[in-house]
Amino acid sequence: MSTTIYWHELRSRLRSVIVWSVAVTAIIFLFSSIFPGFAAQAVTVKELFSRFPPALLDAFGMQNTDLSSVLGFYGFIFVFVQLCLAIQAGNYGFGLVSIEESELTADFLLCKPVSRVQVMTSKLLAALTSLTITNIIVWVVSFVSLALFSGGRPYAVGTLVLILVSIVIFQIFFLAVGLVISLLVKRVRSVTPYSLGLGFGMYVLSAFSAVLTEAKLEYITPFKHMDPAFIVRTMALDTPLVLANGAVSLLALTLSYVMYARRDIHAAS
Amino acid sequence: MNIFFRELRANLKSLVIWSVIMILLIIVGLAKFAAYYNNPASLEILHSLPKAALDAMSLQAFNLTTLSGLYGIMFVYFGLMGGIAASMWGSNMISKEERDKTVEFSLVLPVSRSKLVTAKALAAVVECLAFVLVTWGMSALAVQQYKPDQSFFNFLTLEMEAMFIIELIFLAIGLLLGCAMKKYKRSGSTAVAIILAAYFLSVIGSMQANLDFLKYITPLKYFDAAQLLKTGHLDLTFLSLSAAIIVVCVVAAYRVYSKRDLYI
Repeated sequence: MSTTIYWHELRSRLRSVIVWSVAVTAIIFLFSSIFPGFAAQAVTVKELFSRFPPALLDAFGMQNTDLSSVLGFYGFIFVFVQLCLAIQAGNYGFGLVSIEESELTADFLLCKPVSRVQVMTSKLLAALTSLTITNIIVWVVSFVSLALFSGGRPYAVGTLVLILVSIVIFQIFFLAVGLVISLLVKRVRSVTPYSLGLGFGMYVLSAFSAVLTEAKLEYITPFKHMDPAFIVRTMALDTPLVLANGAVSLLALTLSYVMYARRDIHAAS
Repeated sequence: MNIFFRELRANLKSLVIWSVIMILLIIVGLAKFAAYYNNPASLEILHSLPKAALDAMSLQAFNLTTLSGLYGIMFVYFGLMGGIAASMWGSNMISKEERDKTVEFSLVLPVSRSKLVTAKALAAVVECLAFVLVTWGMSALAVQQYKPDQSFFNFLTLEMEAMFIIELIFLAIGLLLGCAMKKYKRSGSTAVAIILAAYFLSVIGSMQANLDFLKYITPLKYFDAAQLLKTGHLDLTFLSLSAAIIVVCVVAAYRVYSKRDLYI
């Protein structure tokens, strides 16, 4: 690994890391702040619902969402945090090496006395560091906002930790998949449409999973692999799906190394 | 005209990718719907409730035993996807010239800057229309197995009109960003910020009664599936609000772009 590349990458990403961290902080605080008022309503609604027959609730998809509990609500807002993290990680993944080609700096970088493997490793580590900074901020903000807005309602800290642990696996997935797609296509002109498509596409595919029953196709999306509602309900990660997710990330990373090593790089003419 | 066709061709790939995601979404939606369709237990309860009560709670729009209920829920995601795709197309269409260093070439062609923007904007509008038609066609095809009645198709038509308007709003915003941002890299990320903010505001607005005013701020809330199903037409207030946003953005885009110092 080359420390020069590592620090350069980290520095150039600093702004983006700050912006995304502020964004997730704002989301968590904004949504948590309506929790006290919302929980009171939700309890009333829940009582009302408990008098309805379950089949009716089923028809309106209301049976397995309990927004009156701290973690039920947190799980609900965490999906939005995941969405942001997915786009951020996707951005870094898609841009990781493709940006050198689109900004015509690839030939400069590659004539330095570092191997392509070293370039890739340094860049990956820098991206992971950036993601981890955001990750740590999500941890801190989550605990702080729950302490502020839970209104003394008890919640299982272990389950919350489990949800937060899933972030790193989630980030690596989007980083790795973004990277491998960027190497599979001939040229990445602009990163945002790719990362938005991947992030939102995956999100939308799993979006009404809380409402409706399962469909096989939605198992392709990481939002389903690390579904916070599932973690809250069962107090455990969905091990087979998480393992499958990790395997896909690993495969994507390996493939990226192989492909980058033999890639035909467009030089500035 | 040449620019128009060139842009259409250049953006075909992006359109295809978005269409594939949309088609997957519709397939997932209908696969889930299979478990609810004519579920006897649910139906029995529904019939036992007085119809007026259902209407009052506007629950009919989210009654998952009917296709209209499913599409009431899906509409949020149609609008969201349409909005994202359109804002990306709008901002990219303009800013890519600067990114790919082709802007000098385009502007030495014997066309004015405003003609260039017009051609590009029209290509993007055509693309938005194509995206709606794909959604529409796929929906119409996918629901055939449930033998929907005419009222469902009327509702679907209404939803697709609303989706197209949402697309146009975000397209206009994206176009303005592409035209106005001095740094071409900013326009894409600003578009992302706007679309994420609009989505989060629309979610939070529907959770809290006293945040109801947010429905005027976020275009994703302008057309509500429950309202569409109940009234059977698009809300006039929001139609005019949408038209105002589109006109303001497009006019501003033209004015800014014709005067701007381009990044070369």
